[in-house]
Parts: sequence; C-alpha cells; structure tokens
Amino acid sequence: MIRPGSQAGERRGAVVIPLALDETRLIARIVDRDLRAFEQLYRIYQPRLSRFLINILRRPHLVEEALNDTLMVVWKRPEAFNGTSKVSTWIFAIAYRTALKARARNDEPIEDPDAGSRASLEPGPEQELGQRQLQAILSEAMGKLSAEHRAVVDLTYFHEAGYREIAEILDCPVGTVKTRMLHARKRLKDMLADQFGADGW
Amino acid sequence: MVDGIPDDAAAFSEAHRDAQELLAWYVTGKLEADEHARVGAHLSGCADCQRDLAFQRKLEAGIAAMPVDVEQGWSRLRDLAEAEEIPAPAPRGLRFGREQAGYLGWGIAASLAVALGATLMPTAATQLAQNTSADGAYHALGAAPTAAPGNMIVIFRPDVTEAEMRGALRAADARLVDGPTAADAYVLSTPAAKRTAALALLKARHEIVLAEPMDAAAR
Repeated sequence: MIRPGSQAGERRGAVVIPLALDETRLIARIVDRDLRAFEQLYRIYQPRLSRFLINILRRPHLVEEALNDTLMVVWKRPEAFNGTSKVSTWIFAIAYRTALKARARNDEPIEDPDAGSRASLEPGPEQELGQRQLQAILSEAMGKLSAEHRAVVDLTYFHEAGYREIAEILDCPVGTVKTRMLHARKRLKDMLADQFGADGW
Repeated sequence: MVDGIPDDAAAFSEAHRDAQELLAWYVTGKLEADEHARVGAHLSGCADCQRDLAFQRKLEAGIAAMPVDVEQGWSRLRDLAEAEEIPAPAPRGLRFGREQAGYLGWGIAASLAVALGATLMPTAATQLAQNTSADGAYHALGAAPTAAPGNMIVIFRPDVTEAEMRGALRAADARLVDGPTAADAYVLSTPAAKRTAALALLKARHEIVLAEPMDAAAR
C-alpha cells in the first residue's frame, strides 16, 4: 500500500501522520459533510499528491488546480469510496485521472522548463550543492519520460506503492506496470550515464 | 554475461526476466514473500541484476529526496468546498451513526454563517462562550476579520428547530455571532440600547433555556 507517513514521511519531509488515524473514518465524516475532516484529509494528502501531480504534470502552475480538482471529487462524492481498496489508492487514482485530463486540456507536451534547475536555486555547502545538482539532473531526466512512466517511477520509489496497487491507481494490467517500470528504468539509466558516465551513477 | 550460469539456460532466462520486472519493488520491500525470495535467489547468481540493484537503490534514494515544491493552499480549497452546495447524501454503509444530526448541524451552521469576532470578558456567562474555541479554534465559516462582538449568551432548548431559533432571533432583533459552544450555548449580538428588552423577550420564550448579558472587549 501507499505509506501514509511514518518512515516515508520522515525520510522525505512529507507530513507524518499519526498511525492511529483512520482514513476510512475520515471519509465517513466527509460523507456527513464534515469540513474539518476534509481539512484533515487535505493536510494528509497535500504533500504527497502535490509531489505526485508535479511529476505527472511537470508544470507547477497546474498542480494546485489539479490537486484541488482531485480533492473536490472526494468532497463532492465521498460515498463513491466503497471500501474495497485503500483510501490512498482511491485518491491517487482520482489524482491520476485528473492529471491526465489537465495535461490533455493544456496540450501535450510542454514540459516544465525549470524542472532541471529548480532544485539548484539556493547556494549551500559543497556536498549539498552536489546533492542538489544530482537531484536537478535526475529531475531533468524524469522530465523526459512520459507521464505514464513518471507515474510508475514516482509511485514506486517515492510513494512506495507495490505494482498491484499502482495497477489499480493507473487502471491498467500489472504487466503494463512492470513493463513501464522496466522501460523507465532503462531510459533513466541511459540518460544518467550520459551525465555521469557509465559507472558514475 | 553472468557469473554462475545455471545449467538450464531457459529457466535462467525466465528467472532473469522475472527478476528484472520485480527488481524495483524488491528495492522498496513491496514484494510478496515468495516473490522476494525468488528475486533474491536469482540475484545471488546474476551479476547483471546485482548491478541493476545497486543502480536502483541509488535511483530510489535520489527520487525519494527530490523536493516537493508546492505551497500550501488549504484556504483556497476550503473556499471551494464551502461554495459547493451539496444535498445530504443518502445513508450509506460508511456512515457512523450521525446521519441526520450531522447534516442538521452543518445546515444550521451554514445557513447562519456565524463569525467569531469577540474577545470575551471572563464573566460567568461568557465562560460558556469561551468554550467555543476549546476544540482548536477551527472556524471554517467564520474567517471574517470584522465580526461584531456578542453581548448576550443564550442556550436553546435541545429540541428547538431551526425555524424556532430564527423566530426568537428576529423577535429579539438579535444576530447570531458564535456557537454552538461546547455547552451548546450561542453568542448573540443586539444593539446595546435594546439589550435589556431583548434579554427579557428571550427569557420569556419557550425555546430559550438561558439568556444572560455578556460583555465583550474589542480586539
């Protein structure tokens, strides 16, 4: 399942969620039009969904709108969550569909021109600069993948979703997820080898 | 191409393809136990996969460390949610026993659109009102910074209807400023010159349990 916080949250600077928090119960409260529950859900998901959406959309100005569109689906139709999947799987699936629609509306494929430089804006100690440069190069390489491949990579490595859950989110066969991951990995390897040399990464 | 090639090249090739497909989730620990064991067994004899594993570990660390660069925007989403007029959904399996009461509470709150604006003086009556923020000062419907301070506190009968509340407020020329507090009290505002008369009127109404004056200090 997609990890709701704890280790992943701490390591990646995302919101750390109390383990006892029951997201299913939050959805039930949202069914009852509890705005406070909706805010809790927002605060849980905003960092992870933003991250997921920016990786698919690659255009920061579209992210907030897509994030709000995603969560407004939850707010308007919380009863659509039928409990057969994790809340996180349901919400990420909505986010994925929302992001693809946003991309279609805004014409493919103008990638974020600043994606490669955003991570290296601030000066700092040498080792941190090196890390930021590495992240910038990685971000640029990710930007050259298709949205579908980026989604698989990000869901796997950042959100720590298993391939079956990713297939649910992307609404595709598990074989497709595996194939996309293989292709994405190969492309990233090739692109990073261009930057760092075959053994430099 | 690999160290320790098994006798059965076809089986190795099949295991290699399987491992390549699953390697990403081997790295993140998201495989089933049998899959994990299968990939692990192949890894021990495949130099290609071992190199790939090292690459993927770096990739995982690099991608996990990429920053999230989006500002918080709850206030904008809250505005959207509040603007959305949605009828109460039919009871479903997900409800937890608060069906009608939950929507009634929301409906009253939304229709009255109260604003919290008073810093209340610590009198006996205002103690009821001070409980308003005891739950963490969340006032989704009260973001207006210029709300009028309240000068009366009332408690309605528990079974009062929204129409009866509205009727009492109109009769007393009072406006709802805040509530319900934790004690189910409401803070009302009425012109200072009319307060005594308003309190007398409210106390006389059958739907009011308590009506007391309350002094508020400007913020």
